[in-house]
Amino acid sequence: MTLSTDPWIWIAAILTLAIFSFLYRENPFYRFAEHLYVGIANGYAITFYWHRILVPSLFDRVGSSSTPLSTKIWLIAIAIIGALYFTRFIPRISWLVRIPIAIVLGYASGASIPRAVSGEIIRQMKATIITRASFANWQSGLWAVIILIGVIATISYFFFSTERRGLLKPLSYAGIIFIMIGFGASFGYTVMARISLFIGRLQFLLGDWLGFIK
Amino acid sequence: MKRRLPLLIVLITGIFGAVAFFVPYPAIRAADEIMRNDVQRIIAAFSLVLGVGSIVQHHMLKIQRRAQYYSYSYITIIALIITAIIGVFGGIDVTRPGILPTRFGSFSIHIQTLYSNMMVPLAATMFSLLAFFMASAAYRAFRARNLEATLLLLAAFIVMLGAVPFGRLIHHQLPAFAEWILAVPNTASKRGILFGVELGIFATSLKIILGIERGWLGGGK
Amino acid sequence: MSSTHENIFLRLQRIDRRWIYLVLWLVIMVPLIFPFRIQPRASTPVAQLFNYIDTMPENKALVISVDFTPDTRAELQPMVIALLRHAFTIKRRVGILAMQVYGLGLAEEAIQQVTNEFNSRAQTHEDSVIYGEDFVFWGWTTPLLTVMLGMGERITRVFPVDYYGNPTESLPIMRDLKNYDDVGILVSIAASAMPRSWINFAQVQFGVNLSCGITAVSAADFYPYVNSGQFIGMLAGMKGAAEYEQLVEKRMKNKGMDWGLRNTGTEAMSSQTAAHLAIMVFIVVGNIAYFASRRRKK
Repeated sequence: MTLSTDPWIWIAAILTLAIFSFLYRENPFYRFAEHLYVGIANGYAITFYWHRILVPSLFDRVGSSSTPLSTKIWLIAIAIIGALYFTRFIPRISWLVRIPIAIVLGYASGASIPRAVSGEIIRQMKATIITRASFANWQSGLWAVIILIGVIATISYFFFSTERRGLLKPLSYAGIIFIMIGFGASFGYTVMARISLFIGRLQFLLGDWLGFIK
Repeated sequence: MKRRLPLLIVLITGIFGAVAFFVPYPAIRAADEIMRNDVQRIIAAFSLVLGVGSIVQHHMLKIQRRAQYYSYSYITIIALIITAIIGVFGGIDVTRPGILPTRFGSFSIHIQTLYSNMMVPLAATMFSLLAFFMASAAYRAFRARNLEATLLLLAAFIVMLGAVPFGRLIHHQLPAFAEWILAVPNTASKRGILFGVELGIFATSLKIILGIERGWLGGGK
Repeated sequence: MSSTHENIFLRLQRIDRRWIYLVLWLVIMVPLIFPFRIQPRASTPVAQLFNYIDTMPENKALVISVDFTPDTRAELQPMVIALLRHAFTIKRRVGILAMQVYGLGLAEEAIQQVTNEFNSRAQTHEDSVIYGEDFVFWGWTTPLLTVMLGMGERITRVFPVDYYGNPTESLPIMRDLKNYDDVGILVSIAASAMPRSWINFAQVQFGVNLSCGITAVSAADFYPYVNSGQFIGMLAGMKGAAEYEQLVEKRMKNKGMDWGLRNTGTEAMSSQTAAHLAIMVFIVVGNIAYFASRRRKK
């Protein structure tokens, strides 16, 4: 055991324990750490929004003698639109915040429609359809058939527009079987994920701080 | 005006965003590049105002109203200001310090130091608490009441055992079986759900552009 | 006798949650201090990604997109480290970026760690990994459309300055790393739906090869994309990281680089095993207590 002599490691360890104290019950140490986190996280974001967007993409270009005047005016106009976000905190003109939101939201929605249809819907449909290539060997062929049945069954489970009779009844039941296996797989992996996060903190406490793990 | 103008903007920018994908005409491509690199980026930079502004406003109100635990709000605001000052004036590259010194002998208060030794432990530990809540919930609420729930439980057990090296000591094919569950029945169910989700997103995006979905406008006229 | 049993089952059901917390804490802590050595073996998606990067043409770069934040550091950071070690071992150029502002510091930590590992052991200039020649850290910018679509045209336009503030045009590596055409594969390490955005915006329009390292919470949701070939393999959670670490370690040993580096993912597997068994025991005991007390009530 070699205890760390780095003051920052001690600060990190104390903050880690402060958060863990919540497991016993809510307490002032936890509240302190929680509020500290919110403050630091926002300060960190300000740093990079300033240094890596506003400075190179706006201030440097507007301030540069090599930038044409028309570009400067254009950039300033965009900055004014961006600054409309501040109006969110001025009740009388707070509706103006809708303008920058509209520009970002509209463009993102428009740009994502054709790409998502192609990338998610069409490509996934293609991957579900069984072709001769699916039967390169008997195993891959069988798995492809199971996937096709599973996809149709899952979709049919969510099909509520008509009464579940005839073929739809067993198909939607098969759907719930597939869904449960899928959720089970997700749960199994979720356990792994959550445990990993705690292991990470113990690796820090037992390794970097207390020196039990080399 | 207060609603029509934003709806008109969303329609125009939405159509432009979609058209830019289909039309390879150089002028459209150039306009799209300006849209992304100048317009979207600079506006997005200002969007931080919403996040930081809301946090500050929330805590200032708590202090003003002397709400429960209001004294902790000072910690948030002071930490925010100090971190921002260190980051903005202390610089990002350690080898090129800014106007504010961030190293005193062997002790550093550089933004990366604050990040690694304060932000990372706080965020990582906060999320690691979920391991305990999940364990407690698994013990109390995970009941094999019927066939479907039992199936879910079995799939979870197989994936849990197959995911760790210990699984192959139980049976050498167990990891392969767990992988099969993920690659075949899980893929089928997730793909079925994915189609539904994607069609939902597609419909919502279209409704936003056409002004049918107006939730983003918020309240007011 | 029967009332004693009833009491046990009822008490088991009403047990204070803090006892469960304590058991879990011990179950995870003890194997970390006294690990049992069972090495993970690479699953198919992990081997797929490793083999692709390992046989990637020399003129193509590996791009790592750090799309996660400190909360999932434990499971995802080992992936970034293993990928960097792999690329530096086989001498492939690397471009690193972050899609989330809070991922920047994690990328910087990984870069500092791995470059130190290599440069502190380097005998010659060729053995070293040099910033601006062998790798570049572009940093972060927003929104994601600007990055994902812009990188298909010209990376230096998306990132006029790198993380450290250097103009990217001035970096030698950028002469042959102009856009996705020069990228062998882009691996998005994420705890969100970001890899799907990479598919929609980078792959659909520019055809770039993609893969992902994903938090285990979402890993099951990403199997359809591995099945469709949109992702070349995948690293799922800490298990995926540990498996990749093992493959990289083997590759490094083959190249005479038996450095005994710390593999935090592999190191965690003993605790992970113990914890999985503990959770399964919790569920089984919880069910026994529930059904036994219900039967007695009837």
